[in-house]
Parts: sequence; C-alpha cells; structure tokens
Amino acid sequence: MKTRARLPRLVACGATLALTVTLAACGGGDGGASADDGKIHVLVYGDATNKVEKKLVDTFNKTSDVKVVLDTIPGADYQKKLQTIISTPQAPDVFFNWGGGSIKPFVKADLLLPLDGFIEKNPDLENKFLPSVFNNAVVDGKPYGVPMRGTQPVLLFHNKPVLADAGVEPPKTWDELLDAVEKLKDAGVTPIALGGGDIWPTQMWFQYLFDRIAGPELLANALKGDKSAWESADSKKALGVIKELVDAGAFGKNYDSVKYTNGGSVQLLASGKAGFELMGSWYYSQQLTDHKAFAEKGLGYSTFPTVKGGKGDPANTAGNTNNYYSVLKKTKHPEAVAEFLKLMYSDEFVKEQLAIGNLPTTTNTDKFIDTASNPEYARFQYDLVADAPSFQLSWDQAYPQKSSSDLHKAIQQFFNGQLDADGFIKAMQALPTE
Amino acid sequence: MTTKITSARPAAGPRKGSRRRPPASSATTVGRPGFAWALPAAVFFALFAITPLIMVAVLSFMSWDGLGSPEFVGMDNWSRLMDDPVMLNSVWLTLLLTVLGVAIQTPLSIVLGVWAAGHQRNRAVLSVIYFIPLLLSATAVSVLWRALLDPNFGIPADAAWLFGDGNLFGEQATAIGVLAFVSTWQFTPFHTLIYQGAARAIPQVLYQAAEIDGAGRYRQFFHITLPQLRNAMITSMILMIVGGLTTFETVLILTQGGPGTDTTISAYYMYDKAFKSFDFGTGSAIALVLVIAATIISLVVVKVSGYDKMRSTMEGSS
Repeated sequence: MKTRARLPRLVACGATLALTVTLAACGGGDGGASADDGKIHVLVYGDATNKVEKKLVDTFNKTSDVKVVLDTIPGADYQKKLQTIISTPQAPDVFFNWGGGSIKPFVKADLLLPLDGFIEKNPDLENKFLPSVFNNAVVDGKPYGVPMRGTQPVLLFHNKPVLADAGVEPPKTWDELLDAVEKLKDAGVTPIALGGGDIWPTQMWFQYLFDRIAGPELLANALKGDKSAWESADSKKALGVIKELVDAGAFGKNYDSVKYTNGGSVQLLASGKAGFELMGSWYYSQQLTDHKAFAEKGLGYSTFPTVKGGKGDPANTAGNTNNYYSVLKKTKHPEAVAEFLKLMYSDEFVKEQLAIGNLPTTTNTDKFIDTASNPEYARFQYDLVADAPSFQLSWDQAYPQKSSSDLHKAIQQFFNGQLDADGFIKAMQALPTE
Repeated sequence: MTTKITSARPAAGPRKGSRRRPPASSATTVGRPGFAWALPAAVFFALFAITPLIMVAVLSFMSWDGLGSPEFVGMDNWSRLMDDPVMLNSVWLTLLLTVLGVAIQTPLSIVLGVWAAGHQRNRAVLSVIYFIPLLLSATAVSVLWRALLDPNFGIPADAAWLFGDGNLFGEQATAIGVLAFVSTWQFTPFHTLIYQGAARAIPQVLYQAAEIDGAGRYRQFFHITLPQLRNAMITSMILMIVGGLTTFETVLILTQGGPGTDTTISAYYMYDKAFKSFDFGTGSAIALVLVIAATIISLVVVKVSGYDKMRSTMEGSS
C-alpha cells in the first residue's frame, strides 16, 4: 500500500535522489533555477523574511538590465535541495547559506567565487559589515559570503516574577547561576527550561561553556582537524561543568521529551513553571506570538554568565551570526551580482529588516535602530554583537552539514548520560571537518 | 469468472431465434489474457521500481555527497555498514517495532472488525469515529501526539501516577512504546476495515447451523469467525509487516531516532545517512538491505501461510 503510493514520487526526484521506496524526503519539485535565461537566479530559504528579499529584488530590477529572479525553497528542504542542484546546470547564481561549515564543502569542490575581487573594486562590501559577523563566511582566508539577514545571538532569558519570588537576580557569574538553580528548585520550579527533544537548544549550553572556559580557539582548532583539541584539559573542564549543571537538576528530568519547536519549552517559561531559558534572540518574537502578555511584562534577558578562570573573553557571544549570500563561480553576470550585493548594506535593507524584527549587522544599522519594533531589545543585541571580540557560530553550522547528525547525537547522549566524557570526546574526534 | 460464463454458453448449443447475438465470437475475443495485457503495468513497474532499484544498487558501491560525480569505492560502504553498531541495532529495532505492531494491532483490529461487521445499535456512528485516524496523514498524527505527550502540558502532566516524570521520549523503552502506540492508533482502523469486510462475507448459514447445534457466541467466534478470517489475517499481516519495515515518518517526527540512536530504525538511519550526512553511498546500501529483507520476509510469509495457493472460503466455492 505504502510502497506503491510512493514509487512515482521517487522517480520524479530523479536518479540523484532515487534512494528507496520509503523516502518521502524529496518533495517540492518547484524552485529550480535554469541557468541560461540571461537572469540572475537567487536561491533563498523560504520563510517570513522573503518579503524583504522580494522588495530588494524589485528595487534592483528597476534599474538593472540584468534581472534578478528570487527562487524560494521551503525551509526544511533547503539544504537538501541546494546540495543536489549546486553542481548541476540548474544551480543558482547566488544562494542563501549559514556561512562556516555550510559552504566549506562547496569551496573545496571549487564551486564558489571568492569575493576578494568584488571587495577590491568596492571595499564597502566588507567595511560596511560588523567584522565578527563578516568573518564567519571566510574560508581558508578568503571571503565567500555577504551577510544578508539579521543576527541572532543566544541570550539567557528569564521569567521576572518567578525570579523575584525565589529571590534570584539574573546571574552575572556561573556561581550565581548555580546558586539561582538551587533557589529555584527550592521554590518548586524547574530552574531552566530546555527543549532537549530538538537537541540544538542543548547544544547552546555547550557552545557558550566551551567558549567561556576554553576560548573560541578550541573549536577553531578542532575545525581545522586538530583532534587533540577535544582531549585538552579545558575541554574536559567544560564537560565537567555541563555535567555538574545537569546533575544538579537544573533542567529537571524530562528535558529530552520537551521541544522548543512545538512550543513546549516556550510555554514552560511563560507559565512560570521554569525560571530561565537559553535561546536565540528570535525567542522574544516567539513569546510575543505565543504569550503576548508575558513577553511584554514578564520576559527578561541577560548575557550568558561569566565563568571564573575561563580563557574566553566574557564579551564573546554565540549563536547564528547571520545568513549569507554566496556566489557561484560559473555565474555569467558577476558585475551585476556585485551590484546586487551592494543592496545588502543599503538603508532600505536595514529599515525593512528592522521593521520585521530582524537585526541587520551593517555599520549603518546603528542609525536606524530606534525604528525597530522593540528599540531597547534591538540596541542590547546590536551592542552585544558589535562589541563581541568573537561570535561563535552555532556548532552545527560551523561544522560541515554532513557532521551535524552525529554531532547532535553526541551532544544529546553526553547530556542525558548515555555517553561519558571520554565517549563524547571520541565522538567529536570522529566528526568529519571538511 | 467472466470467461467461465461466456465459454459455458456455446456448450449449450446455438438456440433457435436470433434474439441473442452469436456468443462464440465474444468468447474468442475475451480469450485468455496474453502478455500484451500486462505490458502497461510491466513498463510502469520497470520504469518506476526496477530502474531506481538498480541505480540504488550501483550507488551503494560508490561514494557521493551530491557534489561532483560519484566515485567507485568497491565494498567500502558495505564493509563499514557491517561493522556499524548503529546499523545492526537499527535492524533489531525495526524487527522489534514490526513484531510489536503485528502483535498489538492484529487482535485489536480483529475484535473491532468483527464487531463493526455486526448490526448493533450505534455501530455505524462509532465505526466512523474509529476510522478517523485513518484519514489523517502520518505527519499530522505524529505532530499531534508529540504535542499531546509533552511532559509539562500534555497528558503525562495530568496522569503522573501512570507516566512518572513524563520523560517518554528520553528513554529507550518508553520511546519505543510511544512509537508502537502511535502506529497502532493510526493503522488499526485500516486493518479493522479489512476484517470488517471479511467478517461480513462469512455466510450466515454457518452461524445459523451453529446456533441450532447449540454453540454460544464465543464458540461461534472461535470456531467459525476466526477460521473464516484466515485469509484476511494473512493479507493484513503482510501489509503490517511491510508497513512496519518501512515506517519512517513517525520516527522522523516523534523521536528523530533518539534519544541518541535508541530509536534509529533502518529506514530512518538510511535517511540520516543520505539526507542529513549526505553520504548517499551508505544510504543506498541501507536501502538495499531493507529492500532485500522486506522481500525475503514477504516471501517467507507467503510460503508459510499458503497465501500463494489461497483458496476462496466463499460459500459455494469448491
């Protein structure tokens, strides 16, 4: 029954995706770009931000002879679609990506155009962006991407009334956080809400603690292929600190059954059943959608606490630095593409992004930040990112896409005790880095 | 059936009068189906099943991440797969889930199906309600249950005596339990439908005779209904086994193969390798293992159950 219904779909996906009768993974035949119609095809991740991208394309097309066509791919299918068309004649000219490991394999396969040529002619393509953000699309010393959406640093959010009732202040140091955990437990709430079922929220704790304790160099070295980075004393110390926090009951017992993506952990904080949640800056708009009254009155935020004796700069931040446009080497219209990329630091771009709640990372963002829907919140994040000596890209984006599944498994298994520190270290060492 | 009737007629000999058309000609045109009759289906099958299958087989000996052209690597993918503890574990998990599915769903759907075949009051209304899960997509069902089983705001929060701390997705045994339960909830209606149809087809005279002989309702169920449902049971079980071996969406949405790799069944592992790790070679090898395993199991079931020489249990058939 099942088998028969799926077969035609399979073939529609063509030989490249012909895996088996059971896979429904290749839906959505739309959105393919055709290379030779004299236009620039721009492939983007399909979501709410597309309306800004459409406006910019319209602006560009008004004056340019070479027109830009925007092809959107529904989010969940984006990476699969990109991977399967990028080396075919259907490949786009310009495409959305997450910088870091998401473009590394394409650079190795010699598919991408280094942007230093563009930047030589127009230095603004680099100077108009915050360096900590721009640098995340630099591979082997060459820039390959231009930031094209908003930045999303990870912040420690809290429920103000819950903290007040338990007599807890937003923690500045790790010891204060541990103290807060005890007090919140005594008050009968889960100290920290965690959507462990999604795994990437768990990963955020690793990102920050490794950065605070070992500094950003550890991951940078590991990504260069230095396996010993994971065995270092700093790495073991960070793992010990994570273990200690989990064992203290900071996340309760059932965090692996809770999800962020179905609103479970969001509701946990909003309903006052938890005190903290570590989450990307999009959390504010999520709470605004799900629990408006709480978002406006009860939701507080602070930076991740400092860790005593840690090697990382306490001003460092972590999260999704931004998304990037990268250019394929084989594009027939490099000059027009360079012109198009200029729009990514235009005033129009900044205003439109701020209007829908995104925080651009251009130097002129500062000027317009008061037009944001929540200026105070936008200002807090912008200063955080602008002042950060290092912005740690989410691990699953810093590593090549093909490592992300095993990376997530290792993180979940260490957190829930299925792996010990040595097991985690081995799993991390086994991840492909290119 | 139809050929039997038409060919029987000429034997009666031509009748007087011309009211009827000469039947002989229609008998010859109907004839016996030749190979040409199967051609459309055969072409379709070759194009949409055999061709991709061959490609998957070829790809399983190659290394390919979707970029550039595939490279031939001989037995590399296969030997790595043989030593992969996750792969071995996934085979056991697949079998376990399949067996659980058959063991839970079969008795349930027989009872429901036989009940639904009756003529009780309210039966039609209740049947409709039971069939609702069948109308929902597996994706919708999985999303629904993941939300319903949230430990803080779902069912476990209100039934702590049963679920404890509600960490259903955080431990292997309970995660497998959830998967088996959700599949049961979703697919039992379908199998109920099979049994309902089969139970309706049981000749009433058998029950009337049994009643005269003084058999009670339970005796009738075990001595008439169950034996008469034998063919339906085999059909339903084969569908369950194939469905169990190819379960995918429920795992993708409910557990993502976790915690860790505790619910990574073979079909999900194939997806994980191919579309998350972009290792299409290994993904293809797993796919091939699944195809071969499913084929062998189906053949064994057919052979053991006598499905291949199944005879009708209809009234009047010989």
